Amino acid sequence: MTRELEYAYGVVRDTGAPDPLPPGVLGVAGGPVRAVRHRGLAVLASPVPAEEFEEGPLRARLEDLAWLEEVARAHQRVVNAAGAVGCVVPVGMATVCRGEEGLRRMLEEGHPRFTGALDRLEGRVEWGVKVYAGPVGAEAAAGGPAPAPAGAPSPPPAKASSRGLSGRDYLRRRTAQRRAQEQRWQRAEDGARLVHETLAGLAERARLHPPQDGRLSGVTDRNVLNAAYLVPHEHSEGFAARVRELADRLAGLRVELTGPWAPYSFVAPDPADRARAAS
Amino acid sequence: MTRRLELDQESVERDLMRLVLTVVELLRQLMERQALRRVEQGGLTEDQEERIGLTLMLLEDRMGELCERYGIGRSDLNLDLGPLGPLLPPTE
Repeated sequence: MTRELEYAYGVVRDTGAPDPLPPGVLGVAGGPVRAVRHRGLAVLASPVPAEEFEEGPLRARLEDLAWLEEVARAHQRVVNAAGAVGCVVPVGMATVCRGEEGLRRMLEEGHPRFTGALDRLEGRVEWGVKVYAGPVGAEAAAGGPAPAPAGAPSPPPAKASSRGLSGRDYLRRRTAQRRAQEQRWQRAEDGARLVHETLAGLAERARLHPPQDGRLSGVTDRNVLNAAYLVPHEHSEGFAARVRELADRLAGLRVELTGPWAPYSFVAPDPADRARAAS
Repeated sequence: MTRRLELDQESVERDLMRLVLTVVELLRQLMERQALRRVEQGGLTEDQEERIGLTLMLLEDRMGELCERYGIGRSDLNLDLGPLGPLLPPTE
């Protein structure tokens, strides 16, 4: 006998309240989201059709970007709705259990992990901060220093034809271009470090994600910082204001702030915590 | 992500050309870097600098022409080395 498949979004504390979600929140595939309770925890879940979410079809669907996007949006919608009313520990996307019994088993097996995460994350939000090196020429527009060394001809645009130049002019031009490029990266890295050090000092925890690949995100500017910060709820607005202030101070860099999110990046304990627990 | 395998002659030729040009571009960039370093250190005569500069300039021009002929953009000239990152630095 096959039981219905249940898609899990996140785990909350079971406060005994009748419903940890505002009514009318629809999940993946339009299913109604409800809480399944077990030992002081509740998992938010909704039924999903087996022809899409059974192991075999699911694996095939995970390569379908349009389908994934839809699932990701629904997943995030539910987690956000739950995060707006309390603390939620999101579970990985496309976590599917067999029936309510499967959901309870997940709560049972993950009990220490979920309660630990809820203790750590209660009353906190996550802010995402990305820093991008602006396009070439952004420094000039932003009033940055001119990179050409004294006496060198100002570097023409990269696409300009080199016809009519002498060999030595060409070398000088290339040297100037390389220097400008190096300075640009240096400024970008210094800026990213300043942003991260400042914000990590304000946040309770910080996590660095690998920089995003421009070919996947569709953003052509190079991503030099991709970080998440865990901030107590009451400091959330102040943190965001501080990020905007930093963004205004950094010429030639673009700072992108997203959030506040449910603390996706901080569900797993810090590697340091884990090492301590293992020893 | 699955990518369909297209085996028509033209795209095979173009991809092969892209690979060849990527390797040539890598060598060109290495030579240029070396040349700029030696010029910066001094010790080359003006005449030598002029010749090196002209050679590099011609190479770059030729590279541009070849790319144009095969409909390949400069930013297409690269190889993804996985965890090591791209073979060539991001284009300026």
